[in-house]
Amino acid sequence: MSAVLLIEDDDRIRLSLAMALEDEGYVTHAVATAEEGLELQRRQPADAVLVDLMLPGMDGFECIRQLRRTDDVPVIVVSARDDTHDIVAGLEAGADDYVVKPVAVKELAARLRALRRRGRAAAQAGPAMTVLTFGDLEIRPEAGEVRLHGEPVAVTRTEFRLLCELAEHPGQVLSRQQLLSRVWEYEIGDERLVDVHVGRLRHKIEDNTGRPRHLVTVRGLGYKLQP
Amino acid sequence: MRRAGLRTRVSAAFAIGALALSACVTFVSYELISNTLFRERERAAVRATYFDATVINSGLTGGEPEVRELLQALDIGADRYVLLYRSGQWYSRSADEAAGSAVPVKLQEMAASGEAGAQRIRRDNEAALVVAVPVQGQAVFYEIVSLRELERTLQLLALVLTAVAIMVSAGGAAVGWYVTRHALRPLAAVAEAASGIADGDLDTRLDPDAEPELGRLTASFNHMADELSRRLKRDRRFAADVSHELRSPLQTLAAAVSVLNRRRDTLDERSAAAVGLIADEVARFQALVDDLLELARSDKPVQREPADIGLLAGRVLRSRGLPADLVEIVPGTPVDWTVDRRRVEQALGNLLDNAVRYGGGPVAVRIGKGFLEVDDDGPGVPADARSTIFDRFVRGPAANARGGGDGTGLGLAIVAEHAAAHGGKVVLLDRPGGGARFRIELPDE
Repeated sequence: MSAVLLIEDDDRIRLSLAMALEDEGYVTHAVATAEEGLELQRRQPADAVLVDLMLPGMDGFECIRQLRRTDDVPVIVVSARDDTHDIVAGLEAGADDYVVKPVAVKELAARLRALRRRGRAAAQAGPAMTVLTFGDLEIRPEAGEVRLHGEPVAVTRTEFRLLCELAEHPGQVLSRQQLLSRVWEYEIGDERLVDVHVGRLRHKIEDNTGRPRHLVTVRGLGYKLQP
Repeated sequence: MRRAGLRTRVSAAFAIGALALSACVTFVSYELISNTLFRERERAAVRATYFDATVINSGLTGGEPEVRELLQALDIGADRYVLLYRSGQWYSRSADEAAGSAVPVKLQEMAASGEAGAQRIRRDNEAALVVAVPVQGQAVFYEIVSLRELERTLQLLALVLTAVAIMVSAGGAAVGWYVTRHALRPLAAVAEAASGIADGDLDTRLDPDAEPELGRLTASFNHMADELSRRLKRDRRFAADVSHELRSPLQTLAAAVSVLNRRRDTLDERSAAAVGLIADEVARFQALVDDLLELARSDKPVQREPADIGLLAGRVLRSRGLPADLVEIVPGTPVDWTVDRRRVEQALGNLLDNAVRYGGGPVAVRIGKGFLEVDDDGPGVPADARSTIFDRFVRGPAANARGGGDGTGLGLAIVAEHAAAHGGKVVLLDRPGGGARFRIELPDE
């Protein structure tokens, strides 16, 4: 039984979503403010977080940023606003995915499952330790570890899945659509998910994000990972 | 008939004005010049005749003079002709008895009464002047002076003046054309700015200092553009606000209905049926809000990027649970299309949904150079529905009530908007062998 933290200020939405998610088999921790949510996550960590962007007090963007300082838990933004600016800002703050209200509960559950699969893949530590090396960048898929210059790098689970997907095809260009379907399991999805995650990864694994060495963009085609 | 353009009309007015003016000037100057010349010529002719008459007069004095010799002795040029009428007999320098026939009778009578006179006549098809001077012994001396040279001069003058008049009116037309071009140039700038705004560039404004004479036009144009962009922004904000306000309660409804729907088995029959209805309507309501927002935003410019059209179509088919091998690519079709991927996905998806809902399911998705086609297996579209099928809130009779009955009635309108945003269109054709064929035409950028 996995737990979901739901941060939503609208009482009716919070109540109905919590009930519906429980029907789908989740234990739901539902709170109305970002502050309460962060506090609850510290005491009683959930396996996924659903967060609204417009919240009283601390807003959803800041909430995601604070959460990301200590936690690699999958975060899905659930917002009624669908303008590009909010979506990209939410992803840049550290969210793994976003859905626009009204979202069908089945769809939300499918998103949560996709994210948890990603999480599980990273957590499967086996005895045979593969190390994928790209110059000074080391990726250990089974251990869920990334090292740059020998130092561990903190990445979220989705970032790690994205990195592994690229690392398993060294030097090969993967299109945004391929990455969307392999990492996010979207048949038709928003390519900005890929772009923002690549940007976030570059901040962590590149010395100069303006001129990336490892995670390079191939114009018009997609991305590839190289030494 | 189309009204002639402003430039044509102004040029024509200039030409007519110039023609009228130059015709007046030509006419008046011709009249003045010809009168003056004739008067000069007459005076000279009369003076010469009096001189010759004096000579004749003295020659006639005494005895029986030889008149012809007298006449032949006169010093006259080629354009003069002299006659003498004496005692009922005409004398000329040659033995021409009918010489007097050219002299008008009136003048003869006047001269016979002892008065000198002159009259203009036409002789041998030429203008001439007859001057009569009575001499002694009841005789009259006539001189006929040819005005041929003068007439030639006047003809030439008329020709020159006509040519000048024509050139002046052509010049007037040219000036009109030139002036209107300059006068209309600022209007061309206005037209360009207006079409810029119509194409969605709402920041287009006119420079108020460029044409001081058009200050009012510039000011009101810029005011109009400001108002337009303010209203558009307000409408967009309104659409965003409405969407936000509708989405929140819809989210509650969607989640609550899914809770109820799960427990349908435990409800009595009537309640279960009611819950089923609510669930369907909530789903439709969600789709309606999404479609309305899509339409509200459809005037935004397209964001083109290269996309593999075959892969795109395959994804859209899979997302609808349809087999991706329905896609047929016509040989010679470019692989990558520069299109707004999201909009093309949605347009194709809507056509597929339409085919499933009203056309018995899609039988082929054909991709060729610049077009995408969806063929369905339905009865085709009746003639009376064809003109309105792409209008908003127009629905066909559902052939397959799968997925909660009717659609939103906006699907094909959105397809039309997306095609138009790409500079293309969507057309409805007949599939050979029955069924409808919807074709999205996307021209190259």
